[in-house]
Amino acid sequence: MLAAIIFSLCFSASVGQADVPLKQTYNILVSKISGGTLGSLEDIPKSFVNIIWQVRVPRVLFAVFIGMALAISGAVMQALVQNPLADPYILGISSGSSFGATFAILIGFGGGSLFSQFGLATSAFLGAVIASLSVLMLSSIGGRMTSMKLVLSGSVISALFSSFSSIIVYFANNSEGIKSVTFWAMGSLASSSWSKVPILAVVVSVITVFFLFQHRILNTMLLGDEAATTLGIPLSKYRRYYMLLTSLITGVVVAYSGMIGFIGLIIPHIVRGIVGSDHKRMMPMTALIGALFLIWADVISRVIIKNVELPIGIITSIIGAPLFIYIIVKKGYKFGG
Amino acid sequence: MQLNVQKLSVSLDKKEIVKDVSLLVENKQFVGIIGANGCGKSTLLKSIYKSLKPKAGSVFLDDLDLLNTSPKKVAQKMSVVGQFNELNFDLTVFQMVMLGRTPHKKLLDSDTKEDMDIVYRALNQTNLIEYTDRSYLTLSGGEKQRVILARAIAQQPAFLVLDEPTNHLDIRYQLEVLSCVKKLNIGILAALHDLQMAAEYCDYIYAMKKGEIIAHGKPKDLFTEELVTTLYDVNCRIFENPISNNLSFLYQI
Repeated sequence: MLAAIIFSLCFSASVGQADVPLKQTYNILVSKISGGTLGSLEDIPKSFVNIIWQVRVPRVLFAVFIGMALAISGAVMQALVQNPLADPYILGISSGSSFGATFAILIGFGGGSLFSQFGLATSAFLGAVIASLSVLMLSSIGGRMTSMKLVLSGSVISALFSSFSSIIVYFANNSEGIKSVTFWAMGSLASSSWSKVPILAVVVSVITVFFLFQHRILNTMLLGDEAATTLGIPLSKYRRYYMLLTSLITGVVVAYSGMIGFIGLIIPHIVRGIVGSDHKRMMPMTALIGALFLIWADVISRVIIKNVELPIGIITSIIGAPLFIYIIVKKGYKFGG
Repeated sequence: MQLNVQKLSVSLDKKEIVKDVSLLVENKQFVGIIGANGCGKSTLLKSIYKSLKPKAGSVFLDDLDLLNTSPKKVAQKMSVVGQFNELNFDLTVFQMVMLGRTPHKKLLDSDTKEDMDIVYRALNQTNLIEYTDRSYLTLSGGEKQRVILARAIAQQPAFLVLDEPTNHLDIRYQLEVLSCVKKLNIGILAALHDLQMAAEYCDYIYAMKKGEIIAHGKPKDLFTEELVTTLYDVNCRIFENPISNNLSFLYQI
């Protein structure tokens, strides 16, 4: 699985609007990672080196971490609300961040174009955090936080924030801006750059590793509140922690890449179809397959139509849906239940 | 291990469901609670196993104050077979029973050989060994109930709480479950609906109506035709069964 990811990394870095031969890509990567001690870049055109190292590599790393983050938080959310329909966006994060993005694009914070790029990510992140905190608060009213209350509060907050966004769009007199809002909502890895990789990498790795070790608690979550209590795990407490962490990780991802749909929903299901629902085996698999899936979705989004880069959200759904149907038909998979 | 419940009261939505109930399960006793649907049996049990917070009263397992101890510590001593055991996600029977080891595990512990042995022993005790790799969701209600019992056994409890453990079970499995539980030789508190089984398996019985204990005693002293009429609102004849020498019940409306 790791080997598949490494190969996919190289492959993905080499294709795109300018194709770089796989062998040269490999040489560039080896040489750059080893700090120039291995291999040499002398017979490779300078432009290739720049494309690979400055553009493609951060992009592929983005795909790895974002794919991992979405798949893991999808799996956690599904356990958290004991509902196979859950995805990372279910708790209002999507509409919260869309609202943030819409606000930034159509109303804006003023300032130059560089600042507005920064403003877009920040305000999408803030939107996500505000939305999920509202969901958290709403579902804690009246004592214990149950999965039912979480899902319902999620839907209510989602509806509220999407109508805020609609108000802004409705009154906006800016067709260019509306187009970029729409485009943003479809998700893209185009904003990747070395400067953004560290934050993403740290947040995603730390939270992913944390969840890999939570497999016992995630398993008892599947049993519901009462059974979990009798096994010594008070769920409402863990729900709160887990929700905060998934909101954080999803918020960061959405801020950088927009809304990439479907991964958080289907990757956990695909993995359950292969290794079963025991989180001990499922979580690492989910992280890896999520990463792999997004790398390839990104490759396809760049090469499927020459010189056009499709939004990656479109690709994830287009590949994801048939893959999912195949799993259901072939394995007699019953949606986790 | 002795379970001592003192003056427990539980309210749900301001309605008092359990009123000032005290009961005692002595060391290794099998104690039953009987009463009509809605009399507060389950609510009483739930507040003993910490799923509900009682309004007043205390619950002690030897000198462990259950109401003020962490769920994890309680789960190491006491396990529960509840009424509702549905899942939205599938696990195998083995994984399900392995979850019974959760209270004994720290976050980073892995499942040891010893845990495996405990799980297999529990599966054996409940006659589920052939089901080890079956998926839990494909099982019938009765089989699921036995899996939950196996999970409770895998917790290696010193005390077991059962909430209508023989619901959905065929006659054979009812007998199997109760005798399996009895053989564990630990303290047991069980809500039961079958009076004949209660009379046969329990050492001591509490009868509940409208949230209060209205009578208690050893089966042969406790059961009278008047008591059954008060509890369940049916006419009843009780006689000694000539084959088993146990109590038998004949109900009439």
